[in-house]
Amino acid sequence: MKKLLYGFLLVATASIFVVQAKAQVIVIANNSVKASDVSKNDLKDVFTGASTSLGGGTVVPILLKGGTANEEFLQAYIGKNDTAYRAGWRNLVFTGQATMPKSLDGDAAVVEFVAHNAGTIGYIGKASAHEGVKVLAIK
Amino acid sequence: MKRLLVGAIALALGAIPATAQSLEDLNIQIHGYATQGFLYTTNNNILTTNSSTGSPDWTDAVVNLTAQPLPKLRVGVQARYFLLGSYSNQFLIDWAAADYKVNEKFGVRFGKVKTPASLFNEILDIDPGYIWSIMPQGVYTLSSRESFLAHYGGVTYGKVNLSKSAGKLNCWTWIGERVIASNDGFLLPSAEKGIVVPNGVNGWMGGAHLAWQLPIPGAKVGATYAYQAPRTGTFNYTTKGLTYTGNMVRSEIKNPDYYGQYESGKFMAAAEWERKATYYEIDTITAGATPFPTLAKIPTDPHMWYAMATYKVTGKLTAGVYDSQWVNRSAALSTSGARFSKDWDISARYDINEFLYVKAEEHFIDGTGLVYDTNMNLGGLKPTTTLTIFKAGVSF
Repeated sequence: MKKLLYGFLLVATASIFVVQAKAQVIVIANNSVKASDVSKNDLKDVFTGASTSLGGGTVVPILLKGGTANEEFLQAYIGKNDTAYRAGWRNLVFTGQATMPKSLDGDAAVVEFVAHNAGTIGYIGKASAHEGVKVLAIK
Repeated sequence: MKRLLVGAIALALGAIPATAQSLEDLNIQIHGYATQGFLYTTNNNILTTNSSTGSPDWTDAVVNLTAQPLPKLRVGVQARYFLLGSYSNQFLIDWAAADYKVNEKFGVRFGKVKTPASLFNEILDIDPGYIWSIMPQGVYTLSSRESFLAHYGGVTYGKVNLSKSAGKLNCWTWIGERVIASNDGFLLPSAEKGIVVPNGVNGWMGGAHLAWQLPIPGAKVGATYAYQAPRTGTFNYTTKGLTYTGNMVRSEIKNPDYYGQYESGKFMAAAEWERKATYYEIDTITAGATPFPTLAKIPTDPHMWYAMATYKVTGKLTAGVYDSQWVNRSAALSTSGARFSKDWDISARYDINEFLYVKAEEHFIDGTGLVYDTNMNLGGLKPTTTLTIFKAGVSF
């Protein structure tokens, strides 16, 4: 029984690393954002509207409209697909608790916007250029 | 005419998702949704519809306009057309409020605001927000939009991060006035007896809600205590050529509620318990030539609870089940089933894409204490029924 349990734990642990290995995205922020890293829980809170602060300052999430990086980010750090994720945001809108985050077409647009708007935080593909923004390490 | 207009709105809602973000540069957003439901019951007519022959009299259409002129300030309004049998067939304002969030620990919302009580009260009328077609009716009633969903006044909210080993605390408080219009479902039972309350009823209310996000990921427990002051309204009652005028009084309600919820990946489970003790009284002012029959206080002391679970079977398909019970402990014991309502529910929701979804739901209802009115069931009520619901929705 113990062996079975250890085996299950091993598989479960391995699957976590597999999920993380697949997450070929980086989290970027405007240089005004004080934080240099972010925990997975805080990242999830910010991108689901549960929190608007990070590292003691106010942050505004910026989304990708679609694509591989968007799917990977949502799967790895939010645990939802794009449909369920946006439905969650609309619930906040319909109950008067939030406005829908800005969604932009492509990594370059996200980098451009985040670079020029204080307090913004976004995500892009790992291989995309990201000059003018800071990359937040995920703890 | 209203149905036609709503149909046009629903089509328009479906056609304009692409423009939903076109005003983003102005920090103004337009969102909305529309739903159409179909109800069928094997016995009894439910929710004031002709459900025993199949009824499509359940339509919602919502338009939401929100602007964020300043980083910490949001203003918004949400308008709705709501049709449900005889409970409602009207346009109304869900909420119209300004929200100023100072920081994570403190924010304030005022205007006509949603009342942040219990686990699901804020999203109760947001159909795209959950799997169910109808929530457990004991705790989250559909019969009255204005009794519990929103109030005129304010809400404060805030969140405190405790230590890593202690989780987070969310807190809401609210105060204001609740106004129930004469055509709200709350007054339908009186209206069906010929007692008309032309100006509706109102009274002030307040409450607090504390939710503790436990250090166990996805787990939270919460408690709400809501208070509603006595409500009064002038009524007219005409019988045998005489019109009587009097005051309808509903006593204060002290309303405790406790819940727990756990979410992990594709799985969610929740349970909630609530009590709403009160009594109703009618005081006659003008009795005319014939004495108006004096009505004694009519006490109600419902205790209600539910337990529910959902599972995301695939990215698009979610299945769920709940068991809910409502028991009026102040009612006399009888074999008729009038003092309780027990409801087993099985639900499924399929998200066709980001904007469109369909729902199917089966209820096994035992008891007649809830969801039935007199006029639609003139032949009397049978103790059990099954209810089948199909619903389609579009949101953007």
